[in-house]
Amino acid sequence: MPLDTSTYHLSHALLRLDGRRWNELRRLHAQISTQASADGSSYLEMGNTKVICTVSGPGEVRGGGGGGRKEGLERENAIVNAEVSIAGFSGVERRKKGIGGGGGGGKGDRRTMEKIQNVIAAAFTDIVFTHLYPHSTIVITVHILSSDGSILAASLNAATLALIDAGVPMKDYVVACTSGLTPPAADIGEGDASDPLLDLRGGGGGELRFWGGGGGGGGERVCVCVMESRVRVERVEGMLAVGVDGCKQVREILDGVVRAQGRRVVGSVVRQGGR
Amino acid sequence: MSLPHLAYPGLPLGPSSLYIPGPGTHLHTASSTIHASLAGQPILTTPPSKDSKPTISIPRLLPSPTHTPVLSEKVSNVNTLPSVGSVVLGRVTRVRGRGVEVGIAVVYPVGVDWGALAGEGGTVGGGQEGGCVCADEWAAVIRKEDVRATEKEKVVTAEGFRVGDVVRGVVISLGDQSNYYLSTARNELGVIMAKSEAGHTMHPISWNEFRDPVTGLTEGRKVAKPF
Repeated sequence: MPLDTSTYHLSHALLRLDGRRWNELRRLHAQISTQASADGSSYLEMGNTKVICTVSGPGEVRGGGGGGRKEGLERENAIVNAEVSIAGFSGVERRKKGIGGGGGGGKGDRRTMEKIQNVIAAAFTDIVFTHLYPHSTIVITVHILSSDGSILAASLNAATLALIDAGVPMKDYVVACTSGLTPPAADIGEGDASDPLLDLRGGGGGELRFWGGGGGGGGERVCVCVMESRVRVERVEGMLAVGVDGCKQVREILDGVVRAQGRRVVGSVVRQGGR
Repeated sequence: MSLPHLAYPGLPLGPSSLYIPGPGTHLHTASSTIHASLAGQPILTTPPSKDSKPTISIPRLLPSPTHTPVLSEKVSNVNTLPSVGSVVLGRVTRVRGRGVEVGIAVVYPVGVDWGALAGEGGTVGGGQEGGCVCADEWAAVIRKEDVRATEKEKVVTAEGFRVGDVVRGVVISLGDQSNYYLSTARNELGVIMAKSEAGHTMHPISWNEFRDPVTGLTEGRKVAKPF
């Protein structure tokens, strides 16, 4: 049995290196309303990926310049912005900041960060009832404290919780998880050797084909779908099914967190009323 | 129309012709009704002038601090901000030559009834009644010249305070962007609870001394006059 690959071949063993089956999520732990200073905030762990998210707004458009302000004021709908920052200590090796003053050092990083920001903003523009807040912005700030794969999925989940904490009306939860494929067996040829996997870890995934999925809306609606590498088209359906199934599990966990917070609020109101 | 005792997200609270939506609520433009965005108890704020409409808001339940186990029912649901003139209780976090840094933990409203406070007894400064326990500690500083009213220029902060002392002070200014400014320049203001270097709780013996009942040693403090 090879120990140096991140996954065992499914026909040999049913467990991955971290002991999960192909359709199991990592430990998902979330807290809501973690910071008093923000309008809404959350903290989310998906395995070793740890993310903190704050939401400010809906509020007035922040003046960036004369032109920008005008643009915001004319809008009928709220603008959703996302800011993502990856901490220097989040990975295995410490990343140095600002090599060469915006030179080529972190170009790939900046590109992934921009992509994540755009995806988050687009997803929540779709899900939030933006027409209720004309002329305003909602800023979602995500800090990635520890990164072990599925950054985008963790950010989306954390942003959902933070927006719920902020009381922003939404159509539904946006939940996300990744799915991928097992590396094909050494004897390529028959082609049918790779199977879908749920919730990939970072690091040893060199051979895996990453794929991020996000579900939102009444259960099965997919509102975000990000491919991180090329996959054969026959595999997509299987991966999508596994991803949607994982999203349902994530949704249940997040719903539990929100309901627990609701009980806390109700408890405090009842206690105040009793006094 | 009376507000419900408990609102949940989406609950209609009233028409926008009668109320103004505040924090924790949103206005549904199609029906011009105010709906709740958060779960919690809706609060009606009366307008300053008679012409404007009252505001409906739902306060957020703030996260309870993890470092100090304060009973959640004693933590105020609303952010209680110190204002100029309010009496506060705080803990000394740092003693510097130019002033003492304090974390404000309890805020009494402006114009607090000193007689009522005295009735609750003790040098501890009374119970929580009347005072609001802050969910967060507010940073404050007692500048050297605000420690006492007389002989201001001879004050040595290290002889009046020690880290960990509980201090009663009055807010004299909202200060700069990071600190409130407190003053202890009155007889009934100053250190109300202190532990000695040996770690025992001490009792005040004069306006500037506390004594450790176990070792019998005295330590200098700016002592608040017991009621």
